[in-house]
Amino acid sequence: MEKNSRENNTADIASRRDFLRKAGTYTAASLTGTAMLLSPKPSKATANVSWAEHFQKHYRLMTEEEKAEAIERLEKRYSEEFGKKVSVDGSTAIDGVLFGYALNIQKCIGCRRCVKACVAENNQSRGKEQEIEWIRVLRLEKGNFSEEDRDKGGYPDDYGIQVGGNAYKPAGVVLEGQHYYEPDKVPEKDAFYLPMQCMQCEKPPCVKVCPVRTTYRDPDGIVVIDYNWCIGCRMCIGACPYWARRFNWGEPDLPKEDMNPVTHYLGNRPRMKGVVEKCTFCIQRTRKGRWTACVEVCPVGARKMGNLLDPDSDVRKVLATKKVFRLRADLNTYPKFFYFMD
Amino acid sequence: MTSNKWCGNLIGLCFLAAVLPSTTYGEATPAGKQCFESRKDMSQVQQKAIHPGEPNVKCSPTTGAVLWWGDPFDGTIPMGDMPVEADYSHEEAVVRPREPQIDRNKLLTICSMACHNGQYVPYPKDKLPRPLRMHNDIVPDAMKLKHGKGAIWCLDCHHAAERTKLIDHFGNPISFNEPQKLCGKCHGQVYRRWREGIHGKRIGMWKVGAKKRWWVCTECHNPHDVEHGEQQSGFAQLDPEPAPMLPKGMKNADHERLHEHTHYSGH
Repeated sequence: MEKNSRENNTADIASRRDFLRKAGTYTAASLTGTAMLLSPKPSKATANVSWAEHFQKHYRLMTEEEKAEAIERLEKRYSEEFGKKVSVDGSTAIDGVLFGYALNIQKCIGCRRCVKACVAENNQSRGKEQEIEWIRVLRLEKGNFSEEDRDKGGYPDDYGIQVGGNAYKPAGVVLEGQHYYEPDKVPEKDAFYLPMQCMQCEKPPCVKVCPVRTTYRDPDGIVVIDYNWCIGCRMCIGACPYWARRFNWGEPDLPKEDMNPVTHYLGNRPRMKGVVEKCTFCIQRTRKGRWTACVEVCPVGARKMGNLLDPDSDVRKVLATKKVFRLRADLNTYPKFFYFMD
Repeated sequence: MTSNKWCGNLIGLCFLAAVLPSTTYGEATPAGKQCFESRKDMSQVQQKAIHPGEPNVKCSPTTGAVLWWGDPFDGTIPMGDMPVEADYSHEEAVVRPREPQIDRNKLLTICSMACHNGQYVPYPKDKLPRPLRMHNDIVPDAMKLKHGKGAIWCLDCHHAAERTKLIDHFGNPISFNEPQKLCGKCHGQVYRRWREGIHGKRIGMWKVGAKKRWWVCTECHNPHDVEHGEQQSGFAQLDPEPAPMLPKGMKNADHERLHEHTHYSGH
């Protein structure tokens, strides 16, 4: 009985596949035509997307077989594109694990090695046209409260209430602190540094606003994105209070020789133009038990990461013994990224 | 026997003569692309392929710092026995040996064989400080020790008789591979935090009980200069990686540097 139904099922799937294949050929043909009309020189990455990839379901709604197929398709495409064996992992969350992160702002020296290590690991776009970095290190001044500032401080009259830009100028910066500091040596005497990346919120505003639910929180607490399902509306970018998300405005520029071939479907696999991306706590590493690239690279050991459910983990030891705070705790986003001081 | 020793001394001195003019202590031997892990010139690593097309490390093109490890345990040895029970007792703990780094020009070996063998240059009778008459150029920080505010000197950390070793409170030698046993003599609180894994750096597997490469004290700190001028942070200043790309349409980042034109202005 069961065998019968499975056979029926297989036959059913086969006929459906057959239909889709035919339909797909037409669609692919028409799409190619449209693409050629729209852009005179379609990029390699876009041209290589197969019709099957174009029409696949949301990753969360795929069956195991569909996931395996999608992964196989991607591995084939990426391996061809980048000229090396690329693996796409589909590992699910490990039971009993909730990832948490702790960063010692007293130790951080602002060297930006975490930023560049992240790029080396996660296949972000680089180059002159479009440079994407998931971590941003802010340089903050060691300030003091003076009477003069108390009386005269406030918003600048000449720029209106928007600090750092207005409707006629590129705002660029809406946060306090410097993004583009370039001293000869770090740390500087009068500064401290605050690196920011995705906080993997327990109640992520980006997930709330996503109209197609392509971004969601996995059981290990990592907020992930199915890039194929992203429509590029950038609502999540607007919703995120931590400025953690980046958008591929152009075709990503990822040199073949620099591409990291060890990837995860929801993590560092190469992205396409028009999708949003962000830190995933190096999902391709952490779900295999390895520390993230930023934890490993930090030359001062300011970055700690581990399982929040394990009282013996680094992050729990930090929470138990150090002075800890989270950014914008008032927003009730419950970040799992903690800052601490000795 | 004695003549044999003198022979050894002579051979050693020849080595020394051959090595000294061309190199100084702490200088990297140029051969292929070298990067540094934490302290420049004191934590060098040679770039190579661990698998075809897969590098052991990826280095920053601007600063030469290692940014990424293909295999976090490459070139490591077991940490060895530690006197106090901690995380490293329950999981596989490895370290990158410091001895090859410190002795990579073989100066330490040659010096201890050729001169500082207790015969040619006798061992110091006590460990009281005295002005050094020689070798000020070989150990760059020797004459301006910035550690302990004058309360310690060379032989509080270095073994008087065994020049390739450090020394513990009982006068027993400590390997350069295990500086934590030496530093822990004074810095108990930091040593405890390090054992717990919340001071310092570890790479490898995050799971409690899984394999980790532990970074020992001297990989990050320069024991001859822990004060670093006014900073007092324990770290030497580093070259930062380049700033992110400016948003399109923005010419420079002056807006975030000039207080006069932002929110502190009173006009």
